[in-house]
Amino acid sequence: MTMTFPGELPASAPVVASDVTLTSLSEKVSSRVLARRAPLWWWIGFTIAFLLFTVLAIQMAWLFVNGIGVWGVDIPVAWGLALAEYVWWIALASGGTIVSALFFLTRSPWRSATNRIAESMLLSAAPCAGLMPIMHLGRPGLFYWLFPYSTVMGIWPQPRSPLWWDFICLLCYILMSLMYYYAGILPDLATVRDLAQSKSKQIFYGILALGWRGSTREWANQRVVYAIMSAIMAPMVISVHSVVGLDFAGGLTPGWHDTQFPPYFFFGAVISGTAVIVMLTILVRWGYGLQDVLTEYHLNAMAKVILVGSLLLAYAYVWEAFGPFYGSGVAEKTEFFHRIFGFTAAPFWSEKILTVVVPQLLWFPFVRRNIPLLLLISAGIIVGMWQERYVFVIGSLEHNYMPSYWGVYFPTFWDWAALAGTIGLFLTLFFLFLRFAPIVSLAEVREIVEEGHPK
Amino acid sequence: MSDLFGIIGVFRTPDAVKNAAVGVRETGYRKFEVYTPYAVEGMHEILHPGTKWGLPVLMFVGAVFGAAWGYWIQAWSEVVNYPINVGGRPYNSWPAFTVGTFEFMVLCAVAAGLFGLLAASRLPQLYHPLFEARSFARASRDRFLICVEATDPRFDPAAVSELFARLGAERIEEVRA
Repeated sequence: MTMTFPGELPASAPVVASDVTLTSLSEKVSSRVLARRAPLWWWIGFTIAFLLFTVLAIQMAWLFVNGIGVWGVDIPVAWGLALAEYVWWIALASGGTIVSALFFLTRSPWRSATNRIAESMLLSAAPCAGLMPIMHLGRPGLFYWLFPYSTVMGIWPQPRSPLWWDFICLLCYILMSLMYYYAGILPDLATVRDLAQSKSKQIFYGILALGWRGSTREWANQRVVYAIMSAIMAPMVISVHSVVGLDFAGGLTPGWHDTQFPPYFFFGAVISGTAVIVMLTILVRWGYGLQDVLTEYHLNAMAKVILVGSLLLAYAYVWEAFGPFYGSGVAEKTEFFHRIFGFTAAPFWSEKILTVVVPQLLWFPFVRRNIPLLLLISAGIIVGMWQERYVFVIGSLEHNYMPSYWGVYFPTFWDWAALAGTIGLFLTLFFLFLRFAPIVSLAEVREIVEEGHPK
Repeated sequence: MSDLFGIIGVFRTPDAVKNAAVGVRETGYRKFEVYTPYAVEGMHEILHPGTKWGLPVLMFVGAVFGAAWGYWIQAWSEVVNYPINVGGRPYNSWPAFTVGTFEFMVLCAVAAGLFGLLAASRLPQLYHPLFEARSFARASRDRFLICVEATDPRFDPAAVSELFARLGAERIEEVRA
């Protein structure tokens, strides 16, 4: 006998509403891309995003002219908000690949309609992540020295350094995500091409679709390549975020020098990435009127992923507190006390509440079905993860081994401008994806539509 | 006759087109292809029986190449071209090179997959006679098409049309070459 809780989504709940047909699905999703005018909410959202993006441009110009002294970074806290936000952005991006690749391998039916949102999100977040360390370089024009080729002076980058691993991971991650995205969207671009009425759109999507015809041979090739790509992307994304953890674990700073950080960071990616996908799914669902394709089933499933993520993170937090007391180092203990009772106490406790305590509400089925609550919990998680990265990066540097090496960090206006600006870049890119690419994977949802109600 | 590319039969459901593909094949045609809005399960086995190892093997070769390249570029630069003594550690410190090796490996595997997919599907091919057919646009939406091509030795427009009609095609259309 199976037990159902009050308000729980029944096991027989459809993944996609039963009145969706192959015809209506294609036309509904494609018409959002092909519409001559974007809806008003799109323009409002895009305008806000673009204004924030100009903040980034101004911030970068000011930073490059004056140097990173415009930020609050100094010795001892030489890594400020930008590095914390680098970790934060890459976690959001990684969450997109986890939803897209990992749940492809498990054949989860809810992944089919949300994977495009997840991948668009990750392709928008990854450049924000990549920009952060480049802005932090001090001599950003020389970032290409990290490429593994002998530069003009015959000097190679140092491949024994975790910072170089990080660069290579991020570079490969962005390139691979683009290829993975393209391999998945190719058939959908053909649908848009075939539905386009105006000549210019036919040519634009015709070129992007590369002449895809949907022959059996093409489908067979696409399915096998896509499956193997997913099997590669899933461990790949774990490696990306683990290597970010290694950047810190490889440093000797108390609070960073711990082998638990690769999985710790990965758990953070699961929860924060899924949270941002939930928020964007709610936006797309409402804005594009796709309630029958992006159903309660999807939100319910992703809420459960968030719940699992928060439990994993709780486990990591326990170890975070256990480590300093298990070891004999004094600095580890004082640094930990600084974190929980010192300057970073407020974000430390708020982060624990937002990412671990509040998400426990998702055990209740009615919370998982309540969209405003889901939106609030997700937003809380994203803010909480930002605080987590802040405490982790800055709290540790503020309290190094020697008391003479202790300090305080205050973000300046330009630190906050970098945060606002990258949010602008992220939203600008995401709104462009919304406008120009089908936001639901048509080819995959069609399979569900056909299985759901055979004619 | 020579100005025909082939004849299209349009079907409404995946089961109908699967059934029709079996019928077309059993009648003896070999030069035909099915166009569907999504990957219909089992269709590939009907049209092109036998396991295809080409793309997985290509991706594996890509992975091996990438791993070799990734390791080589790190080891060569650190051992041969510009050796730096870091705390007395060996020049060829392979554990530190594993991350770079892994990343180059997966990058090359995925790139081999994408470009292999395009090459094996003969893409990009921006023009194809099928795009002129009126019913073809729906193959990317909600219809399932079979096209028997004129290059088939047994090709005869009347016979193919009749076969499609017998198999329950919703619509039959000739495609100019």
